[in-house]
Amino acid sequence: MPWPTLNDPVHDSQRLFRQLLTAMSEPGTLHTLEVPSPPGDDIGPALWGVLLTLCDLDTRVWLAPALDGPALQEALVFHTGCRLTADPAEADFALVTPGVLAEPIAFALGSDEYPDRSTTLLVALDTLEPAGEWYLTGPGIALQRQLGLGVAAAPLMARLAANRGSFPCGLDAILTCGARLAALPRSTRIEEVA
Amino acid sequence: MNGYNFAYLDEQTKRMIRRALLKAVAIPGYQVPFGGREMPMPYGWGTGGMQLTASILGADDVLKVIDQGADDTTNAVSIRAFFERVAGVETTTVTPAASVIQTRHRIPETPLEPGQILVFQVPIPEPLRFIEPSEQETRLMHALEEYGVMHVKLYEDIARHGHIATTYAYPVKVDGRYVMDPSPIPKFDNPKLDMSPALLLFGAGREKRLYAIPPHTRVESLDFEDHPFEIQRWEQRCALCASDKSFLDEVITDDAGGRMFVCSDTDYCLTRRGELS
Repeated sequence: MPWPTLNDPVHDSQRLFRQLLTAMSEPGTLHTLEVPSPPGDDIGPALWGVLLTLCDLDTRVWLAPALDGPALQEALVFHTGCRLTADPAEADFALVTPGVLAEPIAFALGSDEYPDRSTTLLVALDTLEPAGEWYLTGPGIALQRQLGLGVAAAPLMARLAANRGSFPCGLDAILTCGARLAALPRSTRIEEVA
Repeated sequence: MNGYNFAYLDEQTKRMIRRALLKAVAIPGYQVPFGGREMPMPYGWGTGGMQLTASILGADDVLKVIDQGADDTTNAVSIRAFFERVAGVETTTVTPAASVIQTRHRIPETPLEPGQILVFQVPIPEPLRFIEPSEQETRLMHALEEYGVMHVKLYEDIARHGHIATTYAYPVKVDGRYVMDPSPIPKFDNPKLDMSPALLLFGAGREKRLYAIPPHTRVESLDFEDHPFEIQRWEQRCALCASDKSFLDEVITDDAGGRMFVCSDTDYCLTRRGELS
């Protein structure tokens, strides 16, 4: 079954990008993306929409083994023209599940002079709720926001919480669950509240 | 639309700028290099701001363009007409009615609202450039947070003039990390950057750099304990709307020394005079 693409690439990708921009500039806010659903359960519409909006022949994408498959590879390359890479250190985007971050995978963190040369994590989650165990503060957050991500997200959040120590280098993350999306840029301070 | 893609830029350029914008928002105040394109106007006329506006603009956006606060000056009129033609978007001069505001060197007097995006045109994005001409060196200075020299520059003002004489492009520190040039806005506007409810994007076309301040981000103007940051004040009020809270331009009215002070923000001034609904 062929993977669907955006009905109106110009205006749909603009609309999706603005949702992404809002998500990234107001970390922890939830956004629902209207994107045709890809087949299978691994990649939700929000994640597929992000890939269609941001990837092109200038981007290298790293696929976590848990999500990798010929159908996804073919669809990605066909619809976006992006290059797939086996080396996480040269990936612009990494498609991951939260558990993958338990391994110390060497994604690009950027350098002190060019912190923007880093990998952005595109995460497929099972849980993404506006309230829960993670408290967020920092730029883009007036007082405090919360996110509930389920127990499976612990390795991911441990990795993102470490961003503070290496700022301005670090990983930005776009969290998706089905059609919902939130973002956690490296500037966000993350605290777990038991 | 006249043979152009929506909003002039091709989709791949927009994607490149969009990816850079996400990085800029994630690292507040850091200058992200981007592949600046030639626009159908000269550098220095706002090509950086235009490329950002073109990359974020959608068919349902309402665009406002100001130049030194005014909606009716050359730069503002031509950029507004450009986007009317190549994107067909609705334009406005009313600050609260706009979803995207491109600005040259002012922040509107009317407080911005959540959801609005302010796009600044930036001539020289590097605040350290006049102190250190080498890009490699200024990159390293940002990397090492070596900003003492910026305070030395402000101190030299005090030594020479008795007060900080920098009145525009007054350097700020974003979220306690990056020293940033807020573009040549008057320092009068600096306090509006701090904890702004709107997203602030900065684009420099010739220098090919963009940077951002997300909403609700700490932005401090650099100063000294004994010489705290101050904004401009006037003894006059606006001669047209009598405002004592807005940034005033001095206008020469004749060749015999006649002059008046009027608001630089035309929308604010007209609204106060009841000439706009």
